[in-house]
Amino acid sequence: MEQSGTSTRLQAAVQDLASGVVSALRGGGHTRAVLPAWTDGEAGDLALAAVRVLGADAMLPSLLLGVPPDPAEVAVFRKAVEAHPPRADAAPTVRWSHWGMARTLRRIDPSFSSGPPDEPGTGWLDEAGWQSLTHQLAVLAPLALPGEDCAVSRAAVRRPVDVARGFVRAVRRRDWRQAAGAGRWLTLLPGVPGTLGLESGLDFVELMGGQDPQVVLHVQAARLTRTGARV
Amino acid sequence: MTDTRLIHTVGVGALEWLWAHRDGFRLEPDADPEVGFLERFKPVGELALICKVLFREGVAGSRQARLARQLLDHAWRDTLDGGTMLVRGQRTEPISPIPFEVYLPFRELGYSQLELERAVALNHRLDSWQAYETPPTRRLALSAFQRRFGLTPRPPEPEALRPTWLARTPEPWTVEGHIAYDITHCVFHLTDWGENPDGLPPDLVGYLTTWLPAWIDDWLDLERWDLLGELLVVDACLPRPTLDEPAWRAFAAAQRPDGAMPAIRTMPEGDEQEVFDIVYHSTLVAAFASVLATSRALTELARAS
Repeated sequence: MEQSGTSTRLQAAVQDLASGVVSALRGGGHTRAVLPAWTDGEAGDLALAAVRVLGADAMLPSLLLGVPPDPAEVAVFRKAVEAHPPRADAAPTVRWSHWGMARTLRRIDPSFSSGPPDEPGTGWLDEAGWQSLTHQLAVLAPLALPGEDCAVSRAAVRRPVDVARGFVRAVRRRDWRQAAGAGRWLTLLPGVPGTLGLESGLDFVELMGGQDPQVVLHVQAARLTRTGARV
Repeated sequence: MTDTRLIHTVGVGALEWLWAHRDGFRLEPDADPEVGFLERFKPVGELALICKVLFREGVAGSRQARLARQLLDHAWRDTLDGGTMLVRGQRTEPISPIPFEVYLPFRELGYSQLELERAVALNHRLDSWQAYETPPTRRLALSAFQRRFGLTPRPPEPEALRPTWLARTPEPWTVEGHIAYDITHCVFHLTDWGENPDGLPPDLVGYLTTWLPAWIDDWLDLERWDLLGELLVVDACLPRPTLDEPAWRAFAAAQRPDGAMPAIRTMPEGDEQEVFDIVYHSTLVAAFASVLATSRALTELARAS
């Protein structure tokens, strides 16, 4: 019971955080603090865990809107990055998510002096069928940032039709979070088939799955990307 | 690529089941007028169209080709009473295109019913036949059948194609069951039920090549075998068929040992006729998909060697 209670509280914290990011993205240049200012005690642990679940997207308003982040937020984000580095045997998506957070931290915190971490491998993506590729990319949607290059984004660029098929599959399965993450990648990829109808597709995903702030977060990120935001 | 033997075996089993259950293709001369006598012609027409492909394709194997011909003979001689039932249907509903549609594949194989021919020729002259209200895919079917009959299609097929769902190449994520059947049937009519894959315009080839894998994956996941089978036919009509291995493996595994293919998930239970009415179509489609995919697999092998 305690396990499931913790899991429910974490989910709620992630959703709150995602809602905060969405509000900040919608607020344009008037970014307000999204991350909690304290990280002590049980509530602090939960907040840090929530930041880790959301990954680099916890700092997305600063990245996409170009607004300097609040120093207190940066400190919290840094703590989330440094507190739990992934184990060597962690899943590739966990290692990549951490890599994305470290990359973001270097960008927003000049005092974060540790050198750029080596990129984890992408062999598992290169071998994945289009269904699995799309699922994994959707999990790593925080890496889908305009103008940012990494091995995952290069793997996505090589397979626009596969990701587009994965978007169709996710919509058909009503997996709105996966569809939104895939759609966010697709806005960055050249060579997406025009018949996909991506723009309406993202509106549809928001209409159907917009109760989930993580869905709205990806859709908003995709819209900002489309309108020319550059990291 | 999928094992050709696996694909072929699905068709062998399906045809054996169809032959064993041929009496299920039956008309109801005393049907309630509300339902209509012509209602039960559809399965016979589908049987004829698909058996014609089976009979014509050289890959079916001699027993399959013989069974296909025997099924056609049975349907013509016994079910349709040598075509008399088609005439009776025409006299019951003179303007209905159904007897014409059922007759066409038989006529192409040399069966003949002169009175029906006269009715078709007359109907074809009527504005009422051209104005007959149908969904766009059916309209395309009627134009294609008129061409195959030797008549000038009214309207011409390119014009009939235009209002179909597929011709407009819409957002692929909106496809649900009814739309998927409109897509498959549009392809059937454009390719003369797989006999002429070149009948697919290049833009539709591109559209289908891109999105068909997503739809196949979806209906495989839902275990909708009837629709999956039709999508596998569409795949076999494309210039570079995928002969999707997971789909064919699951399709083959869903088939019952007696050759019946359940329409959705597993075989229904109940009265023999009721079961026949539910699964005859998916079993016919299994035979159809099998023969076209086998043919394409062998062509690919020949090309590779």
